[in-house]
Amino acid sequence: MSQLSNLKVLIADDHFLIRQFVRNTLQEAQINNVQTAADGNEAIDLVQKAHEVGQPFDIVFLDWNMPTVSGLEVLSYFRAKSDYASTAFVMLTAESEQQNIMKAIKAGATSYIVKPVSPADLGKKLFEINEWLKRKRMAAGGMFG
Amino acid sequence: MSSSPLPLTLNDTMAKGISLAVTRALRDTFGVDVTADAPEYGEGMVSLAGDVSGIIAMVQQQLEGTLMLSISFEVVRDLLPQVVGKSVTITPEMVGDTVGELTNMIFGQVKSELNQRGHQIKLGIPCVVTGKGHFVSQFHRGRYMIVPFRLDGHLFQVYVALHGGGA
Repeated sequence: MSQLSNLKVLIADDHFLIRQFVRNTLQEAQINNVQTAADGNEAIDLVQKAHEVGQPFDIVFLDWNMPTVSGLEVLSYFRAKSDYASTAFVMLTAESEQQNIMKAIKAGATSYIVKPVSPADLGKKLFEINEWLKRKRMAAGGMFG
Repeated sequence: MSSSPLPLTLNDTMAKGISLAVTRALRDTFGVDVTADAPEYGEGMVSLAGDVSGIIAMVQQQLEGTLMLSISFEVVRDLLPQVVGKSVTITPEMVGDTVGELTNMIFGQVKSELNQRGHQIKLGIPCVVTGKGHFVSQFHRGRYMIVPFRLDGHLFQVYVALHGGGA
């Protein structure tokens, strides 16, 4: 689990239950650098500020349905900016329908999690997302390093 | 080209899908096992077991319906420490928020399962109603189905009402 412990994560969900549930699973994976947002605007602010100070988030969990700005809109906003190409955006949703999954993937989601999700399955997803991050960084290093 | 949706009816198949969705939501989120009892069918007004209810409207062409999770404050209050820890004081707002999210998760699964079978239903925006022993009034006096669940000796219910279409 220690390979995940350096990750910085944002959980954006309007329900405290999900924010806490995901945080618990991250803590079990030794990920303690975790912040939360209760809506889409707050998520955008936190992601941008973290990037501006040179400490960007590695993973951003985004609830699909949030007040003010939806998770899908947050995802589209950041995927339009090349600065965030190495950030993993993971959609959280209560709907598993193919059209929604396709919509999220087309918008640039790194992964898609259907709620409810067990801590074990969320833990497996974390490893998959970490592999994606490694590939992204390796590609960026090969190009510029 | 889209084909006509498969008519939706209140029956034991639908009750089984609801049972699976409720069981999974509570096991995955809180690590608890619930037991589903046999579904009950009826018409008109009904009093539900809970004092917190999460409600979502449902439509399928000519059919209109209501999906509801009704659960007692005490059951949710006792579940929440599994996620938020034992030292946190559970407030009514936290209980309401939890019932809203459970409603989302349960009926999101139910919708996906029904639509995989060709029912093409759509869900509205969930809301949460609180009040000890509240009644559910159906203005259309249509049919309903209640799926009862037990958790550590406590009863909670999922209520589905349909009007029009194949109901």
